[in-house]
Amino acid sequence: MDVTALLLADSRFPGGGHVHSGGLEEAVARKLITVERDLPEFLHGRLWTVGLMAASFAAAAAHAARRGVHSGYWRRLDAELDARTPSVAQREASRAQGRGTARAGRIAWPAVAELLAVTPRPHHPIITGALAGAGGSLPRDAALAVAYLAVSGPASAAVRLLGFDPLHVNAMVARLAPALEAVADEAAVTAGADPSELPAPGAPALDLLAEAHLRHHKEEVRLFAS
Amino acid sequence: MKADARLVAEYRDGRTILRELRSMAPLTLFPKRTGGDAVVHLVNSATSPLGGDDLRLTVIVGAGARLRLSGVAATLALPGQHADGSHSTLDVHVERGGRFEYLPEPTVVTSRARHTAELFASLDDDARLRVREVLVLGRVGERPGSLRTTQRIVRGQVPLLHQTLDVGSLRFAARRVLATEILVGEDPVEPAGGDWWSVTPLAAGGALFTALAPDAVTAAKDLDRARACFPKMSW
Amino acid sequence: MPVDHVHPVSFDPTVAEHDHYEPAPREGRAFRIGIGGPVGSGKTALVAALCRALGDEVNLAVVTNDIYTTEDADFLRRAGVLDAERIEAVQTGACPHTAIRDDITANLDAVERLEERFPGLDLVIIESGGDNLTAVFSRGLADSQVFVVDVAGGDKVPRKGGPGVTTADLLVINKIDIAHLVGADMDVMTSDAHRMRGELPVITQSLVDTPDAPDVADWVRKQLV
Repeated sequence: MDVTALLLADSRFPGGGHVHSGGLEEAVARKLITVERDLPEFLHGRLWTVGLMAASFAAAAAHAARRGVHSGYWRRLDAELDARTPSVAQREASRAQGRGTARAGRIAWPAVAELLAVTPRPHHPIITGALAGAGGSLPRDAALAVAYLAVSGPASAAVRLLGFDPLHVNAMVARLAPALEAVADEAAVTAGADPSELPAPGAPALDLLAEAHLRHHKEEVRLFAS
Repeated sequence: MKADARLVAEYRDGRTILRELRSMAPLTLFPKRTGGDAVVHLVNSATSPLGGDDLRLTVIVGAGARLRLSGVAATLALPGQHADGSHSTLDVHVERGGRFEYLPEPTVVTSRARHTAELFASLDDDARLRVREVLVLGRVGERPGSLRTTQRIVRGQVPLLHQTLDVGSLRFAARRVLATEILVGEDPVEPAGGDWWSVTPLAAGGALFTALAPDAVTAAKDLDRARACFPKMSW
Repeated sequence: MPVDHVHPVSFDPTVAEHDHYEPAPREGRAFRIGIGGPVGSGKTALVAALCRALGDEVNLAVVTNDIYTTEDADFLRRAGVLDAERIEAVQTGACPHTAIRDDITANLDAVERLEERFPGLDLVIIESGGDNLTAVFSRGLADSQVFVVDVAGGDKVPRKGGPGVTTADLLVINKIDIAHLVGADMDVMTSDAHRMRGELPVITQSLVDTPDAPDVADWVRKQLV
């Protein structure tokens, strides 16, 4: 993995990721997750659904940024990710993170200007992949970074919300290594495919958690934006 | 078992007629008519889908025609002798002003089944579509096999929904029944929902209803509740 | 160690200089003032006072970062000092510190939403969630920042220093009307504060005696010139 992908995967990357829990806060509020042993299944499920979809789009975006594409491609990629994100709450979370990532990343990797010209609030996986590609990362590295973010965010949120032992939670994420590699491999295979053919794994349970999170936030307030 | 069935509906003289209706076992199409709309029942005439089955149904709804395709009994996805599982595809095209409803009964994923179900729908700009899907993970007390469903709906050149659900390998928060209903061509909806159901507007038009329920009865109630979110629905 | 060794960074807070890092360009956007300080020091009450004092002459809006509830925003709305649409509450992911300093994305988003909603906005006041003495605003978020402490925290607070006390553009010592009740020596507090801050200004105030915070409001007016 190259430096650009490392920077993008770092929780210190100032793109606003730290205020998103990936559905974990809602799961905690409903007591679906109460003890540490509840967490791995949540992370695993998230990785193979939302994570795989995000990784696939990141790989495609990195591939596109590396070879240089016309603006129509970015529009199509955006529309295909929209179609794979039926939950309006999930779309909003993805675009909010994408906007923050773009704001931080365009200073370091200005080559994403054309993407931002046609999609000023890009989806998070697309802008992250494009930034990675602009910085020279391979599509698989972009996919791995995004797959990792799909689980590291909720893992960190669990530490903050439930006081889980950070050393244990870190070990849980470490144990996902083979799955993370497998997701990155799968995403890399379709990096050059037509956007319509990219994987579309849905996650109805996560969608419902995201919708409920947004609804509850209007009534009783949440610490995380998603 | 391989099957390639076909159904073509057209609008003529103020009503919808079935210009082509080609059943092929196990996909048997029974025409039923009510009013000016065409209604067809889809019946699985043999025990299917079994491992090794490859079933395809093509539906074309002509301009202005209205067609409803419904199931009459739950589909059981069963294991077969072929390692590669069973496969079914529904290919739909709805032309301008046309309307298609697909309301099958629930699909039950039995133990050791390996089934793939695909729905591809292409719609002209002002065509309307309603698709319901109810997936039940295993009969009561049974560990489910695996089921992969893919739905891709495109209107004009724009993808509205593309979703693959892998059932079996992943559990739905310990809930056995997943019900979804897609509506395209309705007035835009406001997001609504409860803990385990939601109605959400799709980005490029249309809406998706989703519910995770402990059983099929609860899922049916949730579907009714969702329908109430579409007050102007004229189906 | 050689006698002429000079550490490249001075850790002596008494010689701390103002951070000269150039803030983000100001053209075409509202001036952004950060208000930080420990929990309960009176940040929200100060924001409300500034809205009252400046609301008629300055086109302003508020971003609040309270860590637990939208109570701050509700407080301002109830106080009737600002339209609800002029207040944005930010979710900080349980890390209020991070949200104003290390990763300012959520706050920048909130500021941008306000600027879109109210073109020609002159001032955005960003109130941090209650934090400790080390919390300061990033210069990428706030053009200028106020650190609020209060006498109830003890008269040793200014002496303890920390980046909030030593580097903020303005230090406000709040609730001086109750100093005698909590045994805080105002002379000690103000002299410590000046010693720690060098030339940087210190204002002592009581929102009971002067509900519109006139001294702080004057300081804000000078920032906007």
